[in-house]
Amino acid sequence: MKVRVNDVELDLAPGTSAIDAVFAAGGDVPYFCSQEYMSPIGACRMCLAQVGAPRKERDGSWVMDEATGQPKIFWFPNLMATCTTQVMEGMVIDTLSERVKTAQNGMVEFTLINHPLDCPVCDKGGACELQDRSYEFGDGLSRFQFDKRHNEKHHPLSDLITLDRERCIQCKRCVRYFEEVPGDEVLDFIERTAHTYIGTADPGLPSNFTGNIADICPVGALLDASSRFRGRNWEYDHTRTTSMDDATGAAIIVDARTGRIERIKAALNPDVNKTWIDDGTRFGHEYADSPDRLTTPLIRRQGKLEPATWDEATAFIAERLKGLSGKDVGIAIRSDSTLEEGVAAMALAEELGTGQLDHAPRPAATLIGNQVATITDLATADAILVVGDLTEEAGVLDLRVKDALKGVTPPTLMPHGVPIADLRLKEHMPRQREILTVAAPYRVDLMRHAGATVRYPAGGEAAFFRALGKLAADANALLGEADEAAAGMSTGQARALVARLAAAKRGVIVLGGLALNRRESAEAARALVKAVGAKELAVGPMANSYGLELLGVLPSHERYGYAGMLDGAKALVLSHLDPAQDGEVAERLRGKDLLVVHDIFMTETAHLADVVLPAASVYERDGTVVNLEGRFLPVRAAPVDAGSSTDLTGVARALGEAMGKRLEGRSVRSARRVLKKRFDIDFAELPDHGLLPRAKSRGPVKALAGEVAAGTGNVLVVPSMARAEYLSRNRHLAAAVGGNRLRVNPEDAVKHNLTGGAEVRLKVGGTWRQAVVHVTDGVPRGLMTIPSLPEQPVGLAQADLAGIVVEQVRLEVAS
Amino acid sequence: MNETHTHTQTPFFADKQEKLAEILSRYPADGRRSALMPLLWEVQREERYVSEERMRELAEIVGTTATEVKGVMSFYSTYHDQPVGTFHIQVCSTLSCALAGSDELFDFLSNELGIVNGETTADGRFSLQKVECVGSCGTAPVVQVNDTYYERVGRGRCRHLVDALRQGELPPVWRERGGDTVGAAKAEPVKQPTDRGEG
Repeated sequence: MKVRVNDVELDLAPGTSAIDAVFAAGGDVPYFCSQEYMSPIGACRMCLAQVGAPRKERDGSWVMDEATGQPKIFWFPNLMATCTTQVMEGMVIDTLSERVKTAQNGMVEFTLINHPLDCPVCDKGGACELQDRSYEFGDGLSRFQFDKRHNEKHHPLSDLITLDRERCIQCKRCVRYFEEVPGDEVLDFIERTAHTYIGTADPGLPSNFTGNIADICPVGALLDASSRFRGRNWEYDHTRTTSMDDATGAAIIVDARTGRIERIKAALNPDVNKTWIDDGTRFGHEYADSPDRLTTPLIRRQGKLEPATWDEATAFIAERLKGLSGKDVGIAIRSDSTLEEGVAAMALAEELGTGQLDHAPRPAATLIGNQVATITDLATADAILVVGDLTEEAGVLDLRVKDALKGVTPPTLMPHGVPIADLRLKEHMPRQREILTVAAPYRVDLMRHAGATVRYPAGGEAAFFRALGKLAADANALLGEADEAAAGMSTGQARALVARLAAAKRGVIVLGGLALNRRESAEAARALVKAVGAKELAVGPMANSYGLELLGVLPSHERYGYAGMLDGAKALVLSHLDPAQDGEVAERLRGKDLLVVHDIFMTETAHLADVVLPAASVYERDGTVVNLEGRFLPVRAAPVDAGSSTDLTGVARALGEAMGKRLEGRSVRSARRVLKKRFDIDFAELPDHGLLPRAKSRGPVKALAGEVAAGTGNVLVVPSMARAEYLSRNRHLAAAVGGNRLRVNPEDAVKHNLTGGAEVRLKVGGTWRQAVVHVTDGVPRGLMTIPSLPEQPVGLAQADLAGIVVEQVRLEVAS
Repeated sequence: MNETHTHTQTPFFADKQEKLAEILSRYPADGRRSALMPLLWEVQREERYVSEERMRELAEIVGTTATEVKGVMSFYSTYHDQPVGTFHIQVCSTLSCALAGSDELFDFLSNELGIVNGETTADGRFSLQKVECVGSCGTAPVVQVNDTYYERVGRGRCRHLVDALRQGELPPVWRERGGDTVGAAKAEPVKQPTDRGEG
């Protein structure tokens, strides 16, 4: 479709908005209300332009301009909001005329009438759309000589978001965001005219994706409460990196100042998270700046851990290793280590000649199935089955599932990036809820958006998939009563679900940790995936679970896996793992000849260690992770002050030097040479949005773990968006989510004499867990749920319910 | 999160299902939200205001949120989220009326009744509210008492109006629909001070 913008001729796809035509032509118009991935509404009137188009005669020929011999341009009588105007054949858009400039100037003046202009104390100052556009398109004068509107300056919408009602310019982005993106309509305009303000009749913000409104607010009205007044925008070091909070690999920007992380914002990755991240990712960083971070190595001398230099520490380790046979050493790294750290761990294992190498947590089944869906596949699916609590496990995927419910495919990128105004998106779009089925043993958030839900008994994933598999093999099969009870659904429901999946052209089955941590359920699930011809998306437990499995940071034999080495190895090198939380394991660790702990805090295990090495947090590493769809994503280090801490490649370098060896993973660069040979990708040049190689190159699977979760138990360890291991150090997030929740059915609460809000301690497996009781009918009778830890993976566990210690009773935190 | 609110009162439409069905039937099935205005009106006519509980009930009926119901209600001065007095006096404050002196009129009423914008007198008889355009610019300034318009209200008319209301009755209106054709002088039933605005 031929369009002319000022003097630039363009050929655009039909359906493109005029504002995108302007930007595609390299032009510029100001706008406040349009937002990528949201419906355009033409509310702010900033993007006005003079627009015209030729007309056709009745016979289909163009009305001609006699003077030029060209089709005559009929100008629209008024200036048009380009964000809601669709391009037409031959359209002419003028954004430079005096008339347009006067209008833009007038709109700036009008928008600023009630804006407090308190930029010097505003957190948005320096990165504010209103500020920038006012300088560019306003003339700096105001004829408004009266008192400005006054309103609340610090209205807490939630514990995480503060609203300044004076600064709001009523663009409606936040109102639309909640309805369109997470689908939890909560905010709206209250009152009218100059008195209009953003408000809600609900007690707070309901969803798990509230932080995004601070990113999209074009002024400083909606602010991230955790970073308010912490610094000016130009003082921050912005690091574009990849979130290591969960397996989705969402794009984030880490803003650090004077060696501290002050805030995290969402960045754009059209194929992964678009521009949205969950609150766990955004607000879960405060632990990295905790004052009790380890900053220097520690060595045990006369039974006490004392500060030492890296040289002393590595010399000490090298000396102790000499007395041991290499194969008696076990090396385990946490599953959010980068690929580069994986190379370092492998190089160290090879140097020592040990097969006792593993990453943990690691599910019972492989994450690399035969038909791995991409996140885009999920967002464009026509039938989706989710097993588990996707919102908590991989927040971004929750939003992408909701994209699929809208039935609008991701927009095609334009020369200037994501279309600013995608005219296919509307407010209050109908959702095709019927394509989504959510199954879990307890009530999960995504069920509110699903057409069908299944609540199967805890630990019943295998029965659930087998029941579906049976009907996929024979549509006329009948499930027995026992089978129906075990699968949590009737034969009819199961048949309808199978029929929907089988009929779908782009069906996707999402397998959460609950399904992957038992081998039998994973096998049954994959049989179903094959039978109905769907694709699968397996949600790994941590950021690089997929990558470390792909790389092969795996034991040479299953008995040398993580659980095995805690038992059998004489010496252990553990990176970011804290198995000693389990009292029995702690006993066994005391008997080791050498225990080296590489971590960021003095964990239970570090207290037992012979040498403690200070580690880089996930925000301080350079490297690469592979997300759950197999996409290689770059991780870049933010400038955080953490003493002499380093990632595992630094450990490999220092330890190698002490042993007189140059190990392959002794630096990120050296590790990348190994990775380049392996994957034929230049990891130093990895683009921001990552790389999804077509062929899923992978060596043979060396070993698969045994069952990770027990088949029975009275407590279900569940995924949590707010990571349990760091929650006590994440002040704002902890206040917002109300601590690690032990969710209890009302009847069980009475039975065990637990009141909502009580702070309790209970022993789950061998580990004492602290939690806050949350009484809800969302969990069935006889089952409690508690957030998982890296050392306590998702699945059933046995807890000592008679021995629950109530430490403090407090008022329940509202949510 | 998003737990359903429990009703403590009987739902308003519990015994008015026919009326409810009639109102809903005026709109297409996918346009239920449009029924919000008449439903709000129905509630307010009977209860004189719309409580938060009623807002939630209506939100559930039309398939939206209590927030949106509140947003709609606060947009229109017609709807009240708390009980108003027997006489709800609304003074238009938009341009035509403002130019014709509605500010002074409002100050007069405020002094006379001893209440400010949005308040109700202690005896529950009067409520006073500044409102946006009531759509009678030709006969500015306009004072609306409950559902009745009083037009071209100068100081004299206003005193007359307050005195009558104090007696507990709505005085007869000065019919000025099309006042421009009738002419101001001809329509005048009581003496109007010439210094409209400040007098």
